[in-house]
Amino acid sequence: MRSIRQALQVARKDLAVELRTKESLNAAGAFAIVILLLFSFAFDPAAEETRTIAGGLLWLVFAFAGALVFNRGFARELPNECLDALLSSPLSSASLLLGKAVANFAMLLVVEALSLVVFGIFYDMRWWLRFWELAGVFALGTWGISIVGAVFGALTVNLRLRELMLPVLIYPLLIPLLMAAIELTNVLLANGAITEDQWIWVRVLVVFDIVFTALALVLAEIILVN
Amino acid sequence: MREKVIYGLAAAAALFLAINLYRIFLVLPDDALQGPIYRIIFFHVPAALTGFIGYFVALAFSVWYLSSGKLKYDSLAASVTEVALIFSCVNIVMGSIWARVIWGIWWTWDARLTSTLISILIYSGYLMLRRAIDEPTQRARLSAALSIFGCLDVVIIWKSIEWFRTQHPAPVLSIRTGGGDIDPAMEHMIYYNLAAILLLAAALVLVRTRQESMSREIDSLRRMANAVERNVA
Amino acid sequence: MDPHTLTLMYARNFAFMFYGFAAAWVIVALYVISLARRGARLKKELDDVRRLIASEAGEQDFRV
Repeated sequence: MRSIRQALQVARKDLAVELRTKESLNAAGAFAIVILLLFSFAFDPAAEETRTIAGGLLWLVFAFAGALVFNRGFARELPNECLDALLSSPLSSASLLLGKAVANFAMLLVVEALSLVVFGIFYDMRWWLRFWELAGVFALGTWGISIVGAVFGALTVNLRLRELMLPVLIYPLLIPLLMAAIELTNVLLANGAITEDQWIWVRVLVVFDIVFTALALVLAEIILVN
Repeated sequence: MREKVIYGLAAAAALFLAINLYRIFLVLPDDALQGPIYRIIFFHVPAALTGFIGYFVALAFSVWYLSSGKLKYDSLAASVTEVALIFSCVNIVMGSIWARVIWGIWWTWDARLTSTLISILIYSGYLMLRRAIDEPTQRARLSAALSIFGCLDVVIIWKSIEWFRTQHPAPVLSIRTGGGDIDPAMEHMIYYNLAAILLLAAALVLVRTRQESMSREIDSLRRMANAVERNVA
Repeated sequence: MDPHTLTLMYARNFAFMFYGFAAAWVIVALYVISLARRGARLKKELDDVRRLIASEAGEQDFRV
């Protein structure tokens, strides 16, 4: 329990810093809107086919915006050797990683909410029809992205090609999660119910989240060594 | 001693491959439905199996490194991953050429092809990560973490897109179908060639591992040289 | 199907089989060549560093 409290403290610190400067949120939010704009040129918003791929477009935007958020996640600790201070503190690596993931999660959810509204406007999508189910899918999917983003943000923090390596490493790993989230989002945005067949995707999301969270906590010590 | 093992493995692989090639081209008949192109299966399937076995072996070595701390396990993990990646590429390229003839298309997004492509991307990332880190212990540690993540992810990917209706030929190896789908002579050929390819892969892994330890030796000698220089100066 | 088309199809089938095998060998051959070159480079580097150490050790002795 103590570690969860510590993790939440880390998350609160990060979010407090973020709220003061809003640098990640602004960058990621602006990026998301620009990508949605570009998509509206690439994929005609009026066409019927675009409605069937709406889920895919959204999750691509979230994945790309997420990379911006995760890059900053650990990189913001580098100046003034804050990262070393954190690692030398009694804070366990797992709590630190979990806290960063929670902060990522919160920030990404904000970006997603913004994107959803803008998307609804650009593409004339009524996303509120199945709002709570959609929210559930978003939460599960975003948690998966956040924990993987936190792990690889930590892993690549000291590399010289960090901004390049992070997306290259996480996107292939996120494919099963994104696939599941896209399938479910497509169904829900078209105002359909989740059928028997599609429950498997929900299971994929849950399994992915559990496996990768567990793995992240176990490997945290190894990744975040001083 | 190590040299002799490598030469031995390579020679055995070469011999085995030569015998198999003779049998593949001159002894086994054409497939009734596919014609001669089916012979690609004798390298395509063993290469695929070698690739996937390699990823799991690399996982084992990565975990061994993390628990023991000895860098030689990290070298082994990296070498096995690299060789497995090469054979996965062989798998995909041969499969693509086969598909062009049998299905009329170079590529399709079915479960097995997509999983193999994703695993190639993940492990290319692994090799890129290693190249981006200079310090050996950090490199070993972080690549071990990535190897564990990657391997588990490959398993999840396989399971999660397996339910798609697959265009890829259904399993023909009798361990999966219970026998009767494929001429036993052909099936045995697949296993013989798997053995040959595994021998070849083992030889390549040993060569690569020796290069890794040479590289480590160079590193530590350089450090020593710098230290000596500072003492002299 | 007339025999001529069948023969053409068979020829194409055969040709692609060889392309497939050729591709496999090329990939493996390229890898082996890259291994060989890396090995030669590493060996040279190792010899250079060893010689460097030997010469420095020699210098040190000389100064002493």
